[in-house]
Amino acid sequence: MRKMPRTILHLDLDAFFCSVEETRNPDLRGKPFAVGGKPDERGVVASCSYAARQFGVRSAMPMSRAVRLVPHLIIVPSRHRLYGEVSEQVMERLRNLTPLVEQISIDEAFLDLSDLRDKDPRQIALDLQAGIRDELGLPCSVGIASNKLMAKIATEVGKKGAKKGAPPFGLTLVPAGQEAAFLAPLPANMLWGVGPKTEAKLAELGLHTIGDIAAWPEADLVRRFGENGRELAAHARGQDERPIVTEHETKSISQETTFTRDVSDDKTLERTLRELAAEVGRSLRRNDLAGKTVKIKIRWPDFTTLTRQTTLPQPTDNDEEIVKTALKLLHTVRKPRQAVRLIGVGVSGLGAPVRQLGLWDGGSEKSRKLQEVVDQLQEKYGKGVIHRGES
Amino acid sequence: MKVIVLQENLARGLSIVSRAVSPRSTLPVLSNILIASDEGRLRLSATNLELGITCWIPARIEQEGSTTVPSRTLSDLINTLPADQVQLILDTQTQSLHVQGGTSNNDIKCIDAQEFPPLPVPDMDGAVQVNVADFKEMIQQVTFAASTDEARPVLMGVLVTVEKDQITMAAADGFRLAVRKATLSNAMPSPISAIIPARALNELARVAGDGEESIYMVMPKGRGQVLFRVKDVEVVSQLIDGTFPDYHQIIPRNYKSRTLVSTNAMLKACKQAEIFAREGSNVARLDIKPAQSDMQPSEVEISATSEETGRNETIVEATVDGGGMLIAFNVKFLREALEAVKTPNVAMETSGPNAPGVIRPVGNDDYIQVIMPMHLG
Repeated sequence: MRKMPRTILHLDLDAFFCSVEETRNPDLRGKPFAVGGKPDERGVVASCSYAARQFGVRSAMPMSRAVRLVPHLIIVPSRHRLYGEVSEQVMERLRNLTPLVEQISIDEAFLDLSDLRDKDPRQIALDLQAGIRDELGLPCSVGIASNKLMAKIATEVGKKGAKKGAPPFGLTLVPAGQEAAFLAPLPANMLWGVGPKTEAKLAELGLHTIGDIAAWPEADLVRRFGENGRELAAHARGQDERPIVTEHETKSISQETTFTRDVSDDKTLERTLRELAAEVGRSLRRNDLAGKTVKIKIRWPDFTTLTRQTTLPQPTDNDEEIVKTALKLLHTVRKPRQAVRLIGVGVSGLGAPVRQLGLWDGGSEKSRKLQEVVDQLQEKYGKGVIHRGES
Repeated sequence: MKVIVLQENLARGLSIVSRAVSPRSTLPVLSNILIASDEGRLRLSATNLELGITCWIPARIEQEGSTTVPSRTLSDLINTLPADQVQLILDTQTQSLHVQGGTSNNDIKCIDAQEFPPLPVPDMDGAVQVNVADFKEMIQQVTFAASTDEARPVLMGVLVTVEKDQITMAAADGFRLAVRKATLSNAMPSPISAIIPARALNELARVAGDGEESIYMVMPKGRGQVLFRVKDVEVVSQLIDGTFPDYHQIIPRNYKSRTLVSTNAMLKACKQAEIFAREGSNVARLDIKPAQSDMQPSEVEISATSEETGRNETIVEATVDGGGMLIAFNVKFLREALEAVKTPNVAMETSGPNAPGVIRPVGNDDYIQVIMPMHLG
């Protein structure tokens, strides 16, 4: 039996952070500006307006470089809470259309429209774009196709084809059966999983477009790239069977922070770790979870990033235990006074907080009871009211 | 050295001592087994410096001598030889051992016996003497409760105390405790207290055989060692340094609820619960239900749930004395505790969902176990 082709819609909010800022401050409209951190604090462009993009500014670019490109660039500090709220309004609108919504980031989502047979997908997309523009003041681009891979590429193609200097408002539809033809002329690096390394290897074989890859023998791709080769061949032909995943199960709870300036002071670092661990612990307890694995993440000033983790004999939701374990891990990778750019703590292996009681554990029971009291106080009077002393 | 032994004796001896071989030692000689002629018998010894095992087998000694042979090579070879005489001839010059059995001729490169760590020659005077079967049962009833966590070395051992004619073994991993007592046929003049690695006791139980003999135990003064001798085998182990936590104070003196069940029925229920519990956090819930009236039975409902596998629930008939209770345990602990109970019925006593659970064989006061429950958040 041939499967009914699915209808997947991919929606991407155009220059999301900037668009939100424009709704709050209409003066920014049409001007080159970027949302992100200050250039002297090593800020990075989180999002940039279409006017700024014309000068070559891109997101994830160091702000200092963006300013060199556009000396009159307006820098707007990011307001993540606000973006989160606006994003939620958009997602809410999508969920009203169908429960099959997979949010993949703050400004992107997939919708499975397969069951909305009596409606024209193009009309659904136009209605969505109009609604989001009129009521939330935000532009967005949409791709519609028979699977997630195609829908996302369709959105990208639509954005690229837009006129420069203004939001693209792309809408691209790839009819079922025409996937391969649509992909064929596109550059290989537009496929998922084709990074610079794979791209270079493909180029050596003379494979520059997605069509080139689709025409190449799959067996040879598998031989060269292993399982990825098989995926590559399928993707190049526009095949992708992955379903819409409606809710991400919480697999870990973590917190991290990037310092505005590298920190080499042991005390400061440990205090930060302590604060992050307390956040993680609070979040675990609020969600009635405990985890067995404690993980730390460290980024050195040269951007190399490493993680270290250890598994506890028993799941924990206790700040003190998380801190103790995280500090132990920190000491295994960091020399005293070694500079750190980013530090993070996480707990995974989550489950219900069952605790094996110990024969001699008066001590840890005390710590747990203390924790409950601290939580209650902080809940009521704010985080500043009380915290654990450091010894 | 020139020695003739029976293949089956040598194979048995090697299987006994090879458990003490340390295969990945930085000291090559520790991967070897010492073989030496010893007063008309052949002595086999292996040690990893913590645990040493020696075994004597019958042999015809035609020329005295000793060497150390790589354990794997010798064991694997002897196991494939026919069940007949095996001749061992050492070339002292080259330290090459010629092994001949049936039509098979082999030369194994050895290391000089001089390099093998000296094993203590024990003075068995004043040894504690216990019947093999009793001693093995004691070991099997406590060692499983010892910790495997290297971070707490003391708990990886079994506290063995001897006071007059009472010998006690206690092991705890921090979450459960098993204490077994026995009465000696002879009272000891002075008390003994030492922490013996659980592993050494397990090895002793394994090599001790099933006979009616006795096990003799001595702890030579100031050596930090314990030595066991049973028939033609000696086991020597380093003692664990440190103070065993006081366990007497954690054994509850009273209870609010006492549940009597068939050991077997309860054990089966636990095994079934474990199939589901092991996928998650190992929790089994025990719902202890006293009889509603004289005419109704009382029972324990054991249940376990796994997000992935599903759920299980078993009802075990019980005699409940005291109030009902919902209490959760690590089902592995509970199962191991019940497996160690030899009586047909077992009593479980507790005072609350967060209070220690006590497990006693009905009709035997020599054995007690304490298991801490799991707290359901």
